[in-house]
Amino acid sequence: MIRLQRVTKRYGDTIAVNELSLEVNQGEVCILIGPSGCGKTTTLRMINRLIEVTSGHIFVNGQETSQIKPEKLRQSIGYAIQSVGLFPHLTVAANIAVVPELLHWEKDRITRRIEELLALVNLNPREYAGKYPSQLSGGEAQRIGVARALAANPPILLMDEPFGAVDPLTRQKLQSQFISIQQKLKKTIILVTHDLNEAIRLADRIAIMESGKLVQYDTPQVILSRPANKFVHDFVGTDRALKRLSSISIEGFVKPAPSVMIDASNREIASVIGYRRYAWVVDKNGKLLGWLDRTNLNEATSVRETMVQGDIEEIAIPNNATLHEALARMLGQGFKSIPVVDEKGKFIGEVTLSDVEAATAEMES
Amino acid sequence: MNNRSIKRWVFLSILLGVFLWLISNTQLWEIILSTLFPQETRVLHPRSLPVLVWEHVRLVVISSSITITVGVPLGIWVTRPSGRDFLPIVNDITSFGQTFPPVAVLALTVPMLGFGFLPTTVALFLYGLLPIVRNTIAGLRAVPPDILDAAYGLGMSRLHVLFRIEIPLAARVILAGVRTSVIINIGTAMIGAVIGAGGLGSPIIAGLVQDNIAYIIEGAVPAAMMAIIADQFWANIEETFAYSTISSNT
Repeated sequence: MIRLQRVTKRYGDTIAVNELSLEVNQGEVCILIGPSGCGKTTTLRMINRLIEVTSGHIFVNGQETSQIKPEKLRQSIGYAIQSVGLFPHLTVAANIAVVPELLHWEKDRITRRIEELLALVNLNPREYAGKYPSQLSGGEAQRIGVARALAANPPILLMDEPFGAVDPLTRQKLQSQFISIQQKLKKTIILVTHDLNEAIRLADRIAIMESGKLVQYDTPQVILSRPANKFVHDFVGTDRALKRLSSISIEGFVKPAPSVMIDASNREIASVIGYRRYAWVVDKNGKLLGWLDRTNLNEATSVRETMVQGDIEEIAIPNNATLHEALARMLGQGFKSIPVVDEKGKFIGEVTLSDVEAATAEMES
Repeated sequence: MNNRSIKRWVFLSILLGVFLWLISNTQLWEIILSTLFPQETRVLHPRSLPVLVWEHVRLVVISSSITITVGVPLGIWVTRPSGRDFLPIVNDITSFGQTFPPVAVLALTVPMLGFGFLPTTVALFLYGLLPIVRNTIAGLRAVPPDILDAAYGLGMSRLHVLFRIEIPLAARVILAGVRTSVIINIGTAMIGAVIGAGGLGSPIIAGLVQDNIAYIIEGAVPAAMMAIIADQFWANIEETFAYSTISSNT
């Protein structure tokens, strides 16, 4: 889908990118990472010709980019940047409409597309379409930036630190959203970041760059377990095992767990809980409400009174989270297991500490 | 157009109405000025006030129009890749145009262009160029680079970026330059009278020569009113059409 062939960029005597070759397959997320000044942003910007190569060739869909008019090329490639760069004098809707308008789409089609995209990035179209960028929070602006990049449904997306300018919590949320959007859309994405955890979490393949050169290009798992040289080894750091957990989704580790309805009788509870120490409590729609501790059970008269109610946001994790998050949540709450919910808050099952340990042991071997 | 700008335009219309009524009522001027300066035998310039105002307006409108049509594109051109090399020289020339006294421009242009309207227009044009060119350059340069990066990255052509992004974002600063230029122009157009271009400078110069303060007031007050009206006009244009971070929040 995207192929870079011995691409070099020189600024006078300094070489920003040196004989870089890279291939990204359709539907893959490739993350360019490295220390500041390693040439990752330059590489990204050469793909849509915001920077022209000094030598070498770049192919998009088998066509050499230097043969395509820069505007046409860029209209077919989504582009999102750290500072977002929303146009402050245009509404959110008009910002998203920029590329469709350049491509002369019909008005109705553009309006429909704007609604579709706002819904995709989880913003209410009715509320947000007429807002101005100055009225948005950082996270909202980032999402609009991504929606704008996706507006004309380009098969390729270039992103330069798209989650860089927001707080850690928002960044986590945006990353989860990125993953679920990518699962739906299957775009070919090249993303630049300097955050290794982000790279491990989002990438199909990571390209590590050092002073203009590509040092290793592999899946997150291989990069973490078999660093190509000392630079990669140092860059990845000593907490590799922990980082590797960020690349594993909990989906394969979710196990069914006992749950009782909020209005269950004592006998029902006893039969569900068996010899276990606890059970999760759900309402009649399956929504997680809290948990029940065996030690409090005897003197109890009803679930409602005995149940430990907590902030579900804090206790439970979504089913697209990573083992790293699951472990962090367990350590933070002091639990040996945590409940997993779907996006509607419905209880699915649980992940236990011993499962995480087993996964770690498996990776080491 | 929101409520506030409608109010502003209504206010401006009233102001303009009062001005037109005042300058067409020559008797009123005569009464007031005779009361203030009983020692003068004549309190009004021999040429009628509406004619003087008309000449003045004509001078200002024509010279300012030329200044805007030349100044804004010039400012845009020197911020484009094709004209960037000329940026320092354009800066220098426009600064020079403003530091050079308009009277001296008149003195130099009269031998070439003769007396009257034409050399005055040339002098006013040169004198008014600086604020417009300067503000156009400053406004365009103040557009944040990440916004331009996004615009080009999305596939906008240079012209698109200029007309849909840069000019709208720089409009407020550019219009502020136009406003300054026009107001300077209204004051400076007085010197046209020296070489027979007429205008409100005529009673002022006559007043100075004949030591007649009534004449000076007859020239100065309408000119000041014109300046206020022009200032309001451009402020309204700015308010109504130009993007601003403040108004987008309301």
